[in-house]
Amino acid sequence: MIERRSFLGLMGATAAAAGTGALVRPVMAQDKKFTIALVPGLTTDAFYITMHRGADAAAQALGQDLIFQGASEWNVTLQVPVLDAVIARKPDAILIAPTDKVQLVEPLKKANDAGIPVVCVDTFIGTGEFQTGSGDADFPISYVASDNVLGGVIAARALAKSIGDEGSVYVSNVKPGVSTTDQREEGFKKEMANHPNIKVLETQFNDDDANKAAAQVQAVLGRAPDLAGVFGANLFSASGTANGVKQAGKQGVVKIAAFDAPQSVVQELKDGTYEIAIAQHPAEIGYFGVVCAYAHLTGNSVPTLIGTGFTVMTKDNIDDPNVAKFLYTG
Amino acid sequence: MTAVPTEVISPGRSILSRIADLRAWLFLALLLVFFEVWAQTRYGVTFVGNTYNLQSISIFATAPLLLAVGQTFVIISAGIDLSVGFTMGLAAVVSAHVANLGVSLLGLHPFLAMLLGLLSGVAVAFVPGLVNGWLIAQLRVPPFIGTLGMYGIARGAAFLIAGGMTVPVSNSWFAWIGNGRVAGIPILVIITAVVVLGMHYLLSETRFGQHTYAFGASRAAALRSGINVKRLTMRIYLLAAVCAGLAGALYSGRFAAGAAQAGEPLLLSSIAAVVIGGASLFGGSGTIAGTVAGALVIAVIEYGLVFINVEPFWQFIAVGFVIIISVLVDQSQRRLLGGQRDE
Repeated sequence: MIERRSFLGLMGATAAAAGTGALVRPVMAQDKKFTIALVPGLTTDAFYITMHRGADAAAQALGQDLIFQGASEWNVTLQVPVLDAVIARKPDAILIAPTDKVQLVEPLKKANDAGIPVVCVDTFIGTGEFQTGSGDADFPISYVASDNVLGGVIAARALAKSIGDEGSVYVSNVKPGVSTTDQREEGFKKEMANHPNIKVLETQFNDDDANKAAAQVQAVLGRAPDLAGVFGANLFSASGTANGVKQAGKQGVVKIAAFDAPQSVVQELKDGTYEIAIAQHPAEIGYFGVVCAYAHLTGNSVPTLIGTGFTVMTKDNIDDPNVAKFLYTG
Repeated sequence: MTAVPTEVISPGRSILSRIADLRAWLFLALLLVFFEVWAQTRYGVTFVGNTYNLQSISIFATAPLLLAVGQTFVIISAGIDLSVGFTMGLAAVVSAHVANLGVSLLGLHPFLAMLLGLLSGVAVAFVPGLVNGWLIAQLRVPPFIGTLGMYGIARGAAFLIAGGMTVPVSNSWFAWIGNGRVAGIPILVIITAVVVLGMHYLLSETRFGQHTYAFGASRAAALRSGINVKRLTMRIYLLAAVCAGLAGALYSGRFAAGAAQAGEPLLLSSIAAVVIGGASLFGGSGTIAGTVAGALVIAVIEYGLVFINVEPFWQFIAVGFVIIISVLVDQSQRRLLGGQRDE
């Protein structure tokens, strides 16, 4: 929570700066209405839908146009044509959640070469360190995202606490090679290294299939009955694992930390399916992505990295409106 | 005297073909032995003797199996249905919504709302099923293309209805269907077993089943022998969609949420299960029993490799190997038996 507040303070300052920029150059802001395009990792996901909502709010507040176009699944070969079409419409700026660190570099360079500034949201290209003058993928003006490594660390801390700091745990993950989920796993393992009585078992990849995630936790339970907790690195990893635990009659014994917070986690936290849910702030990412692009377009400098916060949800705090507002919604 | 079964032509051949029919089951037994030996030597625990494992595997296999039994009919008829995965997703989303609305809007008892949800999941599957059948039977669209189109349409519709999210269901009866047990047996497994038995009967004992085989073996012959091929095709694709619809409705109960992408990862597993079970993608052969074994083979591999703690990526390789081996065995068996169907 502290993290989020300090961040909000920082962003307040940035937004204020952007506002000042607009005041200093009223001609620019009024004469030209900017069109900002948001290309999500996929369109059919509560996370990106919520991000879109935040971006929309910012665009309306600033009086700019926002277009939202993306592919229906997380796939480079589907995202690139959408991106090309968006570039062809010549928006003033592009916010994008690149589906691959490497393969999106060239397609985005085309936008940059055409004079369209690029802001990475949620995921990144290259190293995620921009405007450094090194490498060929430092051209985006900023990277706005949750610190997913930190998200993994937070999940690990919360899970360690709820299992009484001992036993076996593992990460149920989607598939290898996705920057955000890989980072969550990295953060989780990093933090667990500080807990000598907790043993981290091999990660299980479930291909985003809840059925498979359920079978996997049952198989692990069959081999390692001392399993005390699982970190579900995304929605289906967590819901599948929870179901497997329930089927095995171990609900409450095996604690589950779920990453991401669609509406359904309210019920799942309350009935004990999940011990913890880590909510990212996708609306915040969308909002400040747009603010960042607008600030740049109006001649203001922007930070190259904007980290957004997390909220740890439990059954005890989920009814608090200040926590519940971070649930993902359309 | 005219009723002499054709199998009597050569007893040797008959035994060989009987073994061949059982090969998926033999394969399954071999896999179980493999995992048993590994678990015993490495961990000193039993794999097969543990009812917990067997139960977990059977629950794991239910969803792919429900898709696969419908797919078996389609594949025997020399077709393919690529849309079942998203038909399942569509049904999951619809049944979740209906179960919720049944309580909130109609004020139904949760049990009735659950029934309504299940029924509406199955009912909504009629739409993709009928459209698939119509495209393929009436408009002569190749099944691969027609169902690929439906794959997209069902998917889009499912995501639209779900609003891009998962649809949570809070209905304890619905959750009971998905997670409850009767006499210690998971309800999911019981429902799936009943469906499998029904489909087995339909395929092996009824005229519909025989026509499906005949149609798959030779469309022209089926037409000349007076089979109403169009009606048959409609029914086959409808059946596949309804199975997927049931799988989707049960998914919502099990995970207490309907998800549009529920069946997406299951499509290829369902086709693989049918093929491992001995059906030919060229049509005319395949059995429900084989498909059951095929689905169990996949489930046992994926579960077993996690159980014995093998690096996760080996799972993909293992399933790929099994598919190729089964098709190779199938081909050589046909050559051995003098069958020409696949050439």
